[in-house]
This record gives sequence, structure tokens and C-alpha cells, in this order.
Amino acid sequence: MSAPATIKVPISVYRFEPGKDAAPHYQEFTLDLAPHTPILSALLQIRSEQDPSLSLRYSCRSAICGSCAMQVNSKSRLACETPVGPEVERHGRIVIEPMRNQPVLRDLVVDQAPFWRQYDGIEPHLKLDPRHPMPDGAPNPMTPEEVDRFKETPRCIACAACYSACPAVEADPAFPGPMALAKLYRFVVDPRDQAHQDRLVRIQPGGLWLCLRCHLCTEACPKDVRPSERIRDLKEMAIQVQGATEAGSRHAVAFKENIGETGLLNEMKLARQTYGLAALAKELPQGARILRKKPELRKRPHPIQGMDEVEQIYAALDRKEDA
Amino acid sequence: MKLAYYPGCVAQESGKELDLATRWVCRALGIELVEFPTFSCCGSGFVDEANEVLNVAINARNLAIAEKAGLDLLTICSTCTGMLSLANLRMKDPKVRGRVDGALKPLGIEYRGSVRVKHLLRVLTEDVGLTAVKAKVVRPLAGLKVGAFYGCHLLRPADELGWESPEEPHAFEDLLSAVGADPVFYRGRVMCCGFPIQFVKGETASRIGGRQILDAKQHGAHAMATPCPLCHISLDAYQNRAETAVGQKLDMPVFHLPQVVGLALGASPEELGLPRHLVPVEPALARIGAASRA
Repeated sequence: MSAPATIKVPISVYRFEPGKDAAPHYQEFTLDLAPHTPILSALLQIRSEQDPSLSLRYSCRSAICGSCAMQVNSKSRLACETPVGPEVERHGRIVIEPMRNQPVLRDLVVDQAPFWRQYDGIEPHLKLDPRHPMPDGAPNPMTPEEVDRFKETPRCIACAACYSACPAVEADPAFPGPMALAKLYRFVVDPRDQAHQDRLVRIQPGGLWLCLRCHLCTEACPKDVRPSERIRDLKEMAIQVQGATEAGSRHAVAFKENIGETGLLNEMKLARQTYGLAALAKELPQGARILRKKPELRKRPHPIQGMDEVEQIYAALDRKEDA
Repeated sequence: MKLAYYPGCVAQESGKELDLATRWVCRALGIELVEFPTFSCCGSGFVDEANEVLNVAINARNLAIAEKAGLDLLTICSTCTGMLSLANLRMKDPKVRGRVDGALKPLGIEYRGSVRVKHLLRVLTEDVGLTAVKAKVVRPLAGLKVGAFYGCHLLRPADELGWESPEEPHAFEDLLSAVGADPVFYRGRVMCCGFPIQFVKGETASRIGGRQILDAKQHGAHAMATPCPLCHISLDAYQNRAETAVGQKLDMPVFHLPQVVGLALGASPEELGLPRHLVPVEPALARIGAASRA
């Protein structure tokens, strides 16, 4: 087989050494590479041939160690499994930056301490249920159906691509992030774990309900762990365990009840139910401001035609939450 | 072209201007909208959080209404698009389908799965086509730099929606170019507006929305445009709070998608409900010579 044709690959690499550089800057390189060349190989070539001071993390080069996550043209990617060709085709060049939401130590190397702190915070170990003993040599007491409940979560390689892509992490340090919550899900559904109710109760204040379900984590994940979908599962389970106790769960349950009444959203009523009266009072000036332009907000929707059908669907599928 | 029109709740209430603009643009482009007073809310992602199967069932009912009429569904909200598409996908799971059918069949409702859910953006770019849109332009939005803001559920998860790149879409920018505007590319265009947690933790929501507006502004946008009325609430009605969150004035006019198209096709600002916005759109209108009569 002959060697594949090469293309010109312009690469712009983020460089920054805190304490030495006043500000980050971008260093430009151009390489001749086969289109299928992984971006990690391109960066290692730059380091060995052009600038030995370039800092980056990597290890296995096989998309399993999770070390080389970075931003490739603003997307969170593993550099070892992202080829140069499609990026050049789409953008004309490749801009390489460190992951977001973690402080830069040097160039493409970030301080992952916040990410790992959030992971430790969910207590990522089995708290064994004595009803599921695992004496030495005993077979795994889980059935295949129980293993299926983990869904894709055991695939996680902790690369932090999701953490880097998450706008809730960016805006609020209280949010544990997609990876920690996907891991939490894995322990919550583990039948050997005795703490699943406690885990669901403890994750709620300030944490679980900050997920925006924007699904950026699910797109960023190189292993298709689908964190946003497991966070949705956690929310439903949390309501089942604890009822509507947080602003987030109150909103979800009130919304559901709203639709069960008229089939349509009643914006004012929903605000009242979610905020509660005291918090609502603080929102009144903002509400009045919006009402001046949008008086329909005050309108109570009439029930839709065929509301009886919606009511019967609710009767069939909406079990009462545990109080 | 004839489509079942699913306006969603917000466009029938506080976002009425979106409904007005959609009707104007569809009339101008020969899209016949068939209305069904039987449609319920899509659940907006919140019902999905409270009860996944119930959420699929109410949307399967909506889809069955369109299926019975032999029509595909036109949506004008990213979240409605996402929830109805999710129902289409989840109904392929035999376990979910079994439970949903168990609730629907006693009511004489059966959803066979044939309805395609199409947002107006997709209908304009794929079905009407950019050439046909361009041919109707009487007031090109020349010189107006517009930052498209997609809204999450129009794009992600991509395997449920299956049309645009979830991280690097271009349909909206293509449409903006077709009506003569200059699309602005900025990272925030595919990010979240913060709306889903507006009621959970308002300051965090506004910080998220504010960052995207600021990003568009720093990339030179004179205005933003969104295909989602929930994003519009975050970016327009709550822009004052976004300004507080990011610590600076933003003054960013935010259009609904059909308003941008309508302006180029010759509609007046009043016909498109533009006076209903919280952030004045006049600075953007002045750039294209479309000042309001008001």
C-alpha cells in the first residue's frame, strides 16, 4: 500500500505559563500530515521537531486512559482519536486549547483537582447492602438485567471532556458536573449498594437540579456515556424518593400537574408553585416589567379540546410520588 | 406545503409575537398551517424529569393527532422539537411503547410512528429551500450582523434529532445569509441560554445567558436571533438580569427566527410583534431601514 497523500495542516496552539507569561498566546505551526493523523500525533511531532517546551498530557494513545482531552476547534475531544483531516476541511485550521472549567497549569495541562473533588464528593464506592454479601469466591450476585440498569455509565474513562463542555460547571461551582453525576447514577442503581436513597437525598441541595439538560456533555463524551440522560433518571428517582422538596423538583412536579389540569402551561401559576409565596414576592418587579409588554401572561389557559384523554393518560401512567 | 402547526404554549401566551411572525412568514412562503385545538403542551423537558413515560405518552398523543390527519408536524420551539422527537425515538423501545400503548389504546388512540417533527428552521432550509426564500426577499438585511442562537433541543442529543451537527451547525447561519444578513459565528451560539434553571437558581441561569449574549456582542453582533421562545425569554425578557450577572450593559436586540425572515420579506415590525420585546429592537431596525411606525 502506498503512503496516503498529505495535506497542509495549520495548527494554532494555546500557550501559557502562569507566573511567567503575562497572558496566554497562540503559537502557529504548519505540518504536512495524512488526513487520518490523530491530533495527538501532530502535537507530539511539534514537540519533538519544533518546540520541546510544549506541555501536554497523554499516555495510552488508544482512547482508554482519558489523559489527552482538550479543546479542538472549541469542542471537547480526545486528541488521540480525533483526526486532523475533517477539522481542516471544516475550519481551514485547527485551534488547540486546554480543557475549560479547570485552571491552566501550563499550555494544555490543566489542574484537574476541582473535577476529582466533585467525583470524590459523590462517594464513588459501593456501600454494601448486607443482604447482598460478596464473600470471597462467590459469584457476582447481580442478574444480567440488573447489570443492564447501569446503561453506558461503566464505560466512563474520567477524561473530563464533559466537565469541560458543561455550562453549569462554568457558571456555578456548586454543580458536581456530568461525570460525577453519571457515576452517582451507577451507584444508585447498583442493587448491592445500600445507600441509594441516601445518595439521592444528599445530591439534591444545590447540585442535581442545576443540570440544564443541554446535552453538551452527551455530545462531548468520547465513550457515549450519555451523562445528561442519566442525570434525568436521577431527577425522576429523586422525586420518587423525596417528593418535591427542592426548587427544581417543585418546578418539575408543578409543571406536570399544570399540564394535567388544562393540557397547557399556565405560566403565572407555575411561577407561584415553584417559587412559593415569599420568593415570588421578590420576583414581582421583574414580573410586572414583563407583563407590561406581554399581558397574555395573566391569561389562564382554557382546557384543550380532548382534555379528558390527557386526564386518562395521567390516570394510567402517573403514580403518586412518595411523600 | 401543508403541515400540522404545533405552536407550543409560550407562543400562545407571553411569546405571542413568535406565533404572529410564524403565521406571517408561512403565508408569504405558501406554507399552509393546519391547526389542532386538541394539542397539549410537550412538557418542556420538565414533565420528562418528573415522569419519563408520561412525557412520552402525552407527546405520542400529539403525534397521533398529526398522524391521523396525514401531516408532518411544524414546531417553532427548540424544546417542543426536542420533546416530540424524543417521543418518536422512545416509542421504538418496546418496553416504553408497551406502557404508552396501554394508556392510549383504551382511548382509541394509536401512534404508528410515521410523523416527522420539523422545526421551522428545518422546513425553511430543507423543504422550502434557501433559493425560494431568497427569491422572496424584498428588504435584504444587508449590514446587519446577526448571531444565531440555536437552543439546545433543536440540536441535541443529535441521535434523536438527526439533522444538524450538534456542535457545529450552520443551517441558521445559511438562512441568515439567504435573507441578506451577516451571520456572526461565536462559541455561545450552540450553548445553553440558562432557561431550564431560571426558576431553580436565577443568578446562575442569568450568568449562563449573559455569557452567550456577551460572546455574541464581542464577536460584533448587532442582534441575536433564536428559533426557541424559551431562549428568547432568557435572552430578551431576562436580559436585564443577564447584564447584572455579567456586570455590563448588553443592549442586545433578540429576534425570533421568523421575525428576521419576515423583516426581509417585507413585513412591518408591528406585523411581527416586535414592539412586544423587552429590549428595544430599533437600533437593529435602523440598520436595515425598517424603523417601526410606532
